Amino acid sequence: MKQEALSFFTDTWLTLIGLTIFFTYFVYMIIHVLYVKKEYYDAMEKLPLRGDSK
Amino acid sequence: MTEGKLDHFAYDDKIVRNFLMATMIWAGAAFLFGLLAALELAHWPFNLNTEFITFGRLRPLHTNAAIFAFAGNAIFAGIYYSTQRLLKARMFSDALSQIHFWGWQLVIICAAITLPLGYSQSKEYAELEWPIDLLITLIWVVFAINFFGTIKKRREQHMYVAIWFYIATIITVAVLHIINSIELPVSFLQSYPVYAGMQDALVQWWYGHNAVAFFLTTPFLGLMYYYMPKIANRPIYSYRLSIIHFWSLVFIYIWAGPHHLLYTALPDWAQTLGMVFSLMLWAPSWGGMINGLLTLRGAWHLLREDPLVKFMVAAITFYGMATFEGPLLSIKSVSSLGHYTDWIIGHVHIGALGWNGFLTFAMIYYLVPKLWNTKLYSLRLATAHFWIGLLGILLYYISMVTAGITQGLMWRAVDGSGRLVYPDFVETVTKIVPLYWVRAFGGLFYIIGFALMAYNIYRTIKQANTKVVDTKVSAAPLTNHKVEDEEPHKKLEGMGLTFSVLSFIAIAVGSIIEIVPTLSLHKYVEPSKIIDPYTPLQLAGRDIYVKEGCYVCHSQMIRKLPSEVLRYGPASTIEESMWDRPFQWGSKRTGPDLARLGGKYPSLWHFKHMMDPRSTSPGSIMPNYPWLYSKKTDFLILRKKLSVMKGLGVPYSDEEVSQADLNAIKEAKIIADDLRSQGIEMEKLDEKEIVALISYLQALGQKGKK
Repeated sequence: MKQEALSFFTDTWLTLIGLTIFFTYFVYMIIHVLYVKKEYYDAMEKLPLRGDSK
Repeated sequence: MTEGKLDHFAYDDKIVRNFLMATMIWAGAAFLFGLLAALELAHWPFNLNTEFITFGRLRPLHTNAAIFAFAGNAIFAGIYYSTQRLLKARMFSDALSQIHFWGWQLVIICAAITLPLGYSQSKEYAELEWPIDLLITLIWVVFAINFFGTIKKRREQHMYVAIWFYIATIITVAVLHIINSIELPVSFLQSYPVYAGMQDALVQWWYGHNAVAFFLTTPFLGLMYYYMPKIANRPIYSYRLSIIHFWSLVFIYIWAGPHHLLYTALPDWAQTLGMVFSLMLWAPSWGGMINGLLTLRGAWHLLREDPLVKFMVAAITFYGMATFEGPLLSIKSVSSLGHYTDWIIGHVHIGALGWNGFLTFAMIYYLVPKLWNTKLYSLRLATAHFWIGLLGILLYYISMVTAGITQGLMWRAVDGSGRLVYPDFVETVTKIVPLYWVRAFGGLFYIIGFALMAYNIYRTIKQANTKVVDTKVSAAPLTNHKVEDEEPHKKLEGMGLTFSVLSFIAIAVGSIIEIVPTLSLHKYVEPSKIIDPYTPLQLAGRDIYVKEGCYVCHSQMIRKLPSEVLRYGPASTIEESMWDRPFQWGSKRTGPDLARLGGKYPSLWHFKHMMDPRSTSPGSIMPNYPWLYSKKTDFLILRKKLSVMKGLGVPYSDEEVSQADLNAIKEAKIIADDLRSQGIEMEKLDEKEIVALISYLQALGQKGKK
C-alpha cells in the first residue's frame, strides 16, 4: 500500500529544493533579527504614533 | 540626512474620503448579494427563475463585490491614509490618485454588469473577461506608480512594517493577475485561457489562494500594523517579530495554492508541497496575530471600553482562527472530509466577515471622525454594531462548519457490505438545508449591524459643520536616500527599490518551482490515454455550462478516495481534462460531481431536469433554467472558437474548424430528433441552448472510452 502510494510521488527533488530554500532563508532571518539593536526597534515601533495631529 | 528647514505640505485626504465612501456603498451591495445567495440555497424559488440573479451568476457577483469592491476600496482608503503619514509625504500625484479611484469604480461597475449577464471565465475570483482584465492591469499600474512614487519622495528615511506589506501586495497581486489572466480573445467578451486542464487548475489555485493571501491578508496586515497602534495609542508589541512575520509569510504563502487540489489529478509532488507549506503557515500567521493582540498589553481595559478596540481585537482573533483552520484543512486527511463542503464556505467567511470586515469597520470608525474633523456620532451604536455583527458571524460560521462536516461524513459513509449509506446525493443536501437558513439569518444579523454603522457614519458626517480640509503638516525633507553604515535590515528599510526587488524574489521562488514543471504537460500525460477534443456542439454546450456558472455547485473531479470512486466511478485523470479551457474541476459540491455524468441518463432526463430539477430529482435545490429553452445557440461563432482552440494546441483539423457550425447543426439535429421521438414538441428545438448543453453533459467522462 505504502509503495503504491509513493509510486505517484514523482519529482521529489522539487519538494526538497523548496524546503531547503525555505529552511536556509528562515534560519538567516532569525539570526539576522537577533543582531539588530533594540534602540532601532524602539524607534521603528513608535513611527505610526508620531506627528499625525492636525 | 535632514536639513534644518521644514517642508510645509498637506496630505491628500480627499482621496481617502472617496475610497471610504466607496467602501461603504459596495459593502452594502456585497452583503446584500451574499444574503440573496444564501436565501437561494435555503429556498430555491428565491432564484426567481431569472437568469441574471440565478445562483451560478450571483455567487461570482457576490465574491467579486466582497473582495474587489468592498475589501479593495477599504484597502485603498487605509493605504492612502497611512502611507502618506508613515512616509511624511503627500501622494506622488493627485491625478493618479483620482484615476486610480475612478478607474477602480469603473472595473467594479463593469463586473456588476457583465457577471449577471453571464460573461465569465469561471475561474474563481478571476471571472472577469479580458477587456476588464486589461483595465484592472492598467489601474493597478497607476496605483503602483503612485505608491512607489510616494516612497521615492518620502521624508521619512525608514519604511515602517505596514509599508512592506503594501509593497508585497502591490507586486504580488500584479504578478498573480497577469499570469492567471493570459488568455486569447474569441469575441469582445469571451476568451479561452492559454492554460488547460491540470495546468489551468494549478495556475488558477496558485492565483486563487494568493488572492486571499495578497489581497485579503497582507494589505490587511499592513493596516493592522498601522491602525492597531493608532486605535490603542500604543506601539506594536514587537517590531522584531514583525520582521520575521513579514518575510516568512510572504515567502511561504505563495507555495500553498495546491492545497486546493488535494487528491485530484494534480501531480502528487505539487500536492504535498502545497500541504507542507500550508502547515508551515501556522507559525508566521500566529506570530502576526500575537503581535497584533499583545499590542494591547497593559491596556486590556480598552477592550471593555472602546468599540473600535473591540472590532480590532475580534478581527485579529478571527484572523488567528482562520489561519489556524486553513492549514488544518490543508492536511490531506482533513481535506478529504472538508473539501467541496460548506466547511470551506464557513472558513472563508470567518476570514472575510471577521478579519476583513471587522478590521475595515474599526478603520472606518477611526478614520471618519478624523477626516471630517468631528467626533463619532454614537459609540453606543458602534458597540451595538459590534455585538450584532459578532452574533451574525458566529451563526454563519457554526452553521456552515456543522453543515460541511455533516455532509462530508454522509458522502463517505459506507456500510458493512461496502456500499454507500447515502447513495442519493440529494439526501445529503436536504439534510443541511435547515443550516442554510441559520446561515442566512447570520448574514442578516451582519447586515443589520452594518446598517447601524451606515446610520452612525451618516450622522457623524452630517454633524461635521466645518468645511473639510486636507491635513496640513510640516516635515524635514530627505536630502539623500542612500543609507550607509547601518545594520542590514535597517539599511534595507531605507531602500525602497531593493526592498521591493527582494519581496518579488521571495514570491517568485515558490511560483517558479511549482508552476514551471507542470507547464510541461507531456511529462504527466499517458499517450495511450489522450482523448479526442470536444465536438463543436459540445464546445458550444460547454461555454453555456461556464456561462451559467455550473462550476459553482458541481465539480468535475473525482478524487482518489474510495467513497468517491464508489459514488461517481473511477478517479479522474489528467488526460480527461487536458483540452479543458477553462478547467471545470470546481471547488464546491452543492450538487454532485459531474465528471462521469455522460451516458448516465437519457437526453430526455437532462431536458426535463434543466427545466425543473425537482421533476427528476425530488428534493433538489437547483434552480430552474427556463431561458435555455428559448435562447438560441450561436452556431456561427463556433468556427472562431475552434480556430482559437486550434491556435492553443487543441488538435482540430482545418476542415473541422471550417465546418464547425455545419457539424454542430448536424449534431444538434440528432439530439433534437431523439427528444422529439420521446414526445418533446418545441419549435426550432435544434437551435436551442438546452440541446447544446445536453450535448456537452452527455460527453462528460465519455471521451476516450472504447
